[in-house]
Amino acid sequence: MKRFNIFIVLCMIMCGHAWSMDFGAELNKALRENVKKQISDNPGSAANVVSGMFGTSDDEEIAIGRQIAGNLLGASPLVKDDRLQKYVNDVGRWVASQSERPDLPWHFGVLDTADINAFAAPGGYVFVTRGLYMQLKSEAQLAGVLGHEIGHVIRKHHLKILQQSSVIDLGGQALARSVGENDKIKQLIGSGAEVMSRSLDKNAEFEADGIAVVLAARSGYDPFSYVQVLQGLNQIAKDSNSVELLFKTHPLPDARLERLSDVMGDRLDNFKGLTLDKRYYHLRQ
Amino acid sequence: MKMMLNMVVAVCLLAVTNAMAVEAGVVLKDEILRKEPFGDAKPSGKLKAGQKVTIEKKDGGWLSVKSGAAKGWVRMLSVRQGSLQKSRNVADSLKSLASGRSGTGHVVATTGIRGLDEEDLKTAKFNASELDKAESYAVSREAAMQFAAQGKLKPRQVEYLPVLQ
Repeated sequence: MKRFNIFIVLCMIMCGHAWSMDFGAELNKALRENVKKQISDNPGSAANVVSGMFGTSDDEEIAIGRQIAGNLLGASPLVKDDRLQKYVNDVGRWVASQSERPDLPWHFGVLDTADINAFAAPGGYVFVTRGLYMQLKSEAQLAGVLGHEIGHVIRKHHLKILQQSSVIDLGGQALARSVGENDKIKQLIGSGAEVMSRSLDKNAEFEADGIAVVLAARSGYDPFSYVQVLQGLNQIAKDSNSVELLFKTHPLPDARLERLSDVMGDRLDNFKGLTLDKRYYHLRQ
Repeated sequence: MKMMLNMVVAVCLLAVTNAMAVEAGVVLKDEILRKEPFGDAKPSGKLKAGQKVTIEKKDGGWLSVKSGAAKGWVRMLSVRQGSLQKSRNVADSLKSLASGRSGTGHVVATTGIRGLDEEDLKTAKFNASELDKAESYAVSREAAMQFAAQGKLKPRQVEYLPVLQ
């Protein structure tokens, strides 16, 4: 989207001149040169170079997220239900629109696994599992769950993990948004969707919980519905297989509820919103 | 019919483990009960951490609870709702009933259900067609606004919460 905006601006600038030119190729070249310049301007560690690039390029972030999302879908395909997938995109895009990155190419999906979990990859790829989706009872609860994952994306939590663990120079290659896989990005993210099984800093999880209730409230939903989701996770036996990975990579729900209570206080008391439980798209069992 | 049968079985299983699963709660920290669901409403009693309560209804971030003679409203976040399902077998059998996936495909293994574990993620191979499909469901910002309007959702200004370190 942002790229499209840049494109329009470029077109407008060029319109005054009678040049005929491949704007797309020129834009790509300009972006590539920009990256090269940043690398030469940052003779320090490679990590700084990577960090500098991430700071400026949404395209690169999206390309990385796309590769991770494709790998994740290799581990678990989507639930075969077009209406469901469309529905989570409607809810997710609305919630993401209330964030400071409304114009990322947001994508949402429900993975066909009974495991209870949700995933966010850089650039706006967000997935919940069928197991988690079936625990939810209202659109407001779904909005909160998606809001948590959107929180990871807008604060670049996973991207930061990749930066910490890798000093690979992507160069200009990553900028070309390839249709399939990209070797440089493959090197960066490591094996498969392994990065999705790494724990974030627990403060990143607490932060995403705080963002979840705020984005739900901004979107007009009842923010406390998300609290109910955490309460629900609390009722699942800790040693249940379905939450093994979730509880391994996240603080336990009790700790999350306690922290959320501390930061929420009475701040959202005046933001009662809609739950839209009637509009929630129920999966057939 | 099959769905109804599943539901009956699920309800029975729930009933066996804890009859009060939905309405019960445990107070997480000392709290003041209030006559109405507001922070500045008149107090109607006190709750101690660890005290068991019965949850009667919900209003926004508040729960109406009862514990012995004490009755009133308390913040939802001060109460852990429900009782833990102690047995992993019950939890798992419920989950597999709910998912209907036992015995099919890649996600199910020997013990009840098995979901996405670290190994699955690590060994996952890029699935281009599934990714294309996922991207095909994308919704524009404008379409999402229409969807929100249909549900009578109105955007509101809300500040981000403070981040504690």
